[in-house]
This record gives sequence, C-alpha cells and structure tokens, in this order.
Amino acid sequence: MSDFRVFIGGSAGSIAPIKTILSSLPTDFNLIITLIIHSSGDNNTSMIEAIASCCTLTVIEISDKEIVKPNTIYLAPGGYHLYVENINSYSLSVDKKEHYCRPAIDLLFTSAAETFGKHCIAILLSGANEDGTEGLLNVKRHGGLTIVQSPELSQVSIMPKIAIERGAATKVLSPKEISHLLLEYND
Amino acid sequence: MVIATEIPILDEQSITETLRTKNIEIDLFITAIKEKVGYDLSGYARASIKRRIEQLVIDENVTCIAELIPKLLYSKECQANYINRLTVNVSELFRHPNSFLSLRKSVLPYLESFPRRDIWIAGCATGEEAYSMAILLEEVGLLNNTQIHATDINTEVLKQAKTGILTKGLNKDDAARYQASGGTSSLSNYFSTAYNKHKLSQHLLDHISFSHHNILQDKVFCSAQLVMCRNVMIYFDLNTQNSALALFHNSLVQNGYLVIGEKESLINSPLINLLKTIDEPAKIYQRKSSANV
Ligand SMILES: C[S@@+](CC[C@H](N)C(=O)[O-])C[C@H]1O[C@@H](n2cnc3c(N)ncnc32)[C@H](O)[C@@H]1O
Repeated sequence: MSDFRVFIGGSAGSIAPIKTILSSLPTDFNLIITLIIHSSGDNNTSMIEAIASCCTLTVIEISDKEIVKPNTIYLAPGGYHLYVENINSYSLSVDKKEHYCRPAIDLLFTSAAETFGKHCIAILLSGANEDGTEGLLNVKRHGGLTIVQSPELSQVSIMPKIAIERGAATKVLSPKEISHLLLEYND
Repeated sequence: MVIATEIPILDEQSITETLRTKNIEIDLFITAIKEKVGYDLSGYARASIKRRIEQLVIDENVTCIAELIPKLLYSKECQANYINRLTVNVSELFRHPNSFLSLRKSVLPYLESFPRRDIWIAGCATGEEAYSMAILLEEVGLLNNTQIHATDINTEVLKQAKTGILTKGLNKDDAARYQASGGTSSLSNYFSTAYNKHKLSQHLLDHISFSHHNILQDKVFCSAQLVMCRNVMIYFDLNTQNSALALFHNSLVQNGYLVIGEKESLINSPLINLLKTIDEPAKIYQRKSSANV
C-alpha cells in the first residue's frame, strides 16, 4: 500500500469525470482512494453500482471506523460528515451541514491534510458549490498536492473556478490527465 | 478576474510543530474537563472532537485551544456549557426509516410477549427518536405497559426533549420518513400545534422519561428488552465503542434487542459473537441467551 492517499471530491456533474478517472486504474492500483460526492439522498446504492461498474477496484461505502484495505475505493455515505480518523481509519459525524452539504468536502480534505501531509493528493471536480476550496487550501498548506478539474471541461464549473480563483489548485487538469498523473504514483 | 492569492506552503517542520502543539492543547483541554467537571472525553474519536473544540475556539472568540482552559477552570458557567457544546445533538423524527420498519415487523411482535416493557434510548438528543418510538408503539398497541427511558449526557437537550416540543416544525420529509417507517396514520395526528410549535401528545409523552446518563462513565441505566443507541458511538474511538456496546449488552435481557446507527458496525467488536444479526441493513441485533453463547 502506498503512503500516498487520494481524496476526490465532487458535486453536480462529477460522476462522469470520476468514471473517467477510475476506469483507467489497474486492479493493483495501490493508493487508497476516498470519494466524497454531494448527493441529495442518503442512499448511495445506485451510485456505488455506477462507479463499481466502470472500474476494476472494489468500491465500498464507508461505515464508521472502517479500517482501510488495499486496492479499494471508499465512498463517503450520504447524510454524514466524513473525517480521516487516523492513517488507517475513518470516522463519521452528523454535525450541522457545511455549505448546505453533509458530507462536506472541506471537512474530509482538512482532516486528510492534517493526517497525511505531503502524502495527500486532493482532487476537486465539477460542482455548483463553494465546498472543497477551504479543504484544498489546507491540503496545500500541509504540503500536499491539489488538483482541480479544468473549469472548461467541467459540466458545472463553479466549484473548480472558485478553487482556482482562491489559489487552491496546484494543477488544473482534465479527467484523463488526472488519471495519468495518478498512474505515475502507482509503483 | 480575481488574481489567485499566494498560499503560503508551510515547511514540513513547522507543520509538524503546529499539529503537535495543537494535539498537546487538545489533550490538556480534555484533561482539564476531566479533572474539573468529571467528564472523560479521552475516548472520543479524535477528528470530530477536535473539530468541536476548534468550533468552541471560534465561538468563544479566543485565539487558541489553550485559552479555553482558564475559562473552563475559573468560570462555573463555562464548566456547565462547554460539555454541552462539545456534543453533536442533531436528530430527527423517524431517522433511518428502514430501522423503524424492521423494528415494527421483526421486534415489536416479540416485545408483545412481555407483561411490561422497558426500552432504553441512549443518546436521545432532543428526543425525536423517543417520540418516534412512542408513536410506533402506540400504532401497534404496545404503548401501555411500556416505559421508554431516554438518556443523554447533554443537560440542555434533555430539557428541550422533556417539553415534547419539536425543535423544528413538521415538514414533508418527516412525513415521508414516517410513511417509510410503516406509519399507518398521519404524523401530525400525534402532535398538537400552538404558536407554530408542535408538541407530542401528552399521553405519548407520559410514557417517556428523560434522564441524564453518561454512557462512558455510568452504570447500566436499566434492564431493557430493547436498547437503541444510534449515531452516538460514531463519536467514540474503537475501544470506547466496545465498552459502550458491552454496557448495552449488559442492559439487555436474554434475547433482548439492540439497534445501532445505520452506518455503525459491529465488525470490529468482540460483542459480535454474543449477538445474533436480525437485520443487518437495519442494524438490529439480538442478545443470544446464555445457553447459546
Ligand atoms: C447525533 S446525536 C444522536 C441522536 C439520536 N440518537 C439520533 O440518532 O437521531 C448524539 C447524542 O449523543 C449524546 N452523547 C454523546 N456522548 C455521550 C455519552 N458519553 N453519554 C450519553 N450521551 C452521549 C450527545 O449529547 C448527543 O445528543
């Protein structure tokens, strides 16, 4: 299992880029990926199926204190905030919504930044919200890598644009480029 | 076009230093609470308690966690209210309808066999779970001879819960969750409305007692046929979750039922061997009788 961890946050219009990114990853991809996607309902079953159907890695919805296993993609459950509890586990909370969202990307990214520091790779995709920027800034401050989907290629460009304007992006990339970059980390 | 501001990237040493200092502050604050007020928060999940403490720093308008400590030590008012503000009390009626539906089908028929019933709701927050349970019991005709013991560590929410008044009004989502829980009437029938406030009918409220209880430091609250503790253990670390589960197990009569939160899991608990799974997605388990352990 690599020391690097990948955190991907998205909102409206993020399922398509997520599929593009994940579909090119091999079964032995050894960076743990955590996905956090804003959704209206609390039931993620169909989203899990959609994501699982396009990639070779196992996709799991996170339970409280879930202990991470290699070659797996973890998805934040709806209705809960998600934090990185320590290097091998998560915790959940029903604290009030942030930016009208629970889960909020900022909270996950910030706890990931503090836990993984320079080994944290945070990716922000399409969305119509300002969630995520603060989290990316924290990842950056802690020496991690921050990637934002290019607004021109995002179905809804508000979230990427805000992040870029506030200086939160180390790199601005297309979904294809993001997956190439992730593959470079897979050794 | 806004020009991107330069974000200072901290060098590795100062990051580690900052995080280390913050951790020391958190530990000192937790120790101060324990020594001064008697509540032990050391078994709480670090990420969320940290965030709550940081929120307290903002709300109290101080510059760092350490500055909360003198306030805590020398102000009676802060002692009483910090602990309340460190807990997360969000709740709603018929949360996780799937659990209530399954309770109705698989558990309540069993409760019927007892002449009188005790239900313990641990971590009841503002009472919505207890109200929902009372409504459910009323609908299946089991409310008489049932006592719901609802407990929480937070004295403020208990005060609120006792009034029977909903913190938020009744809305479409509440009604939808009630229906999804197998509700057979109309949710608003169980509430009286005055001045835009909704209050649980008195004859339902009469079956619920609200009491102060700390899951981590107090003894078993009562002997119960059903223990419900949802979205409380997520705030505990793994070891602490296991102690809480052991307490609930001790509270259950043989073959009594335990309900935990939708996203909580027994996988990492030794208790998994002492409980039988009744409905995994609904998170309902049953204490095995001693003969089967
Ligand atoms: C998010 S609420 C859950 C409310 C309700 N059970 C539900 O699921 O809707 C968590 C509650 O647990 C309570 N709590 C936290 N630590 C506790 C402890 N050690 N003992 C008792 N209650 C505790 C908090 O005060 C809060 O009201």
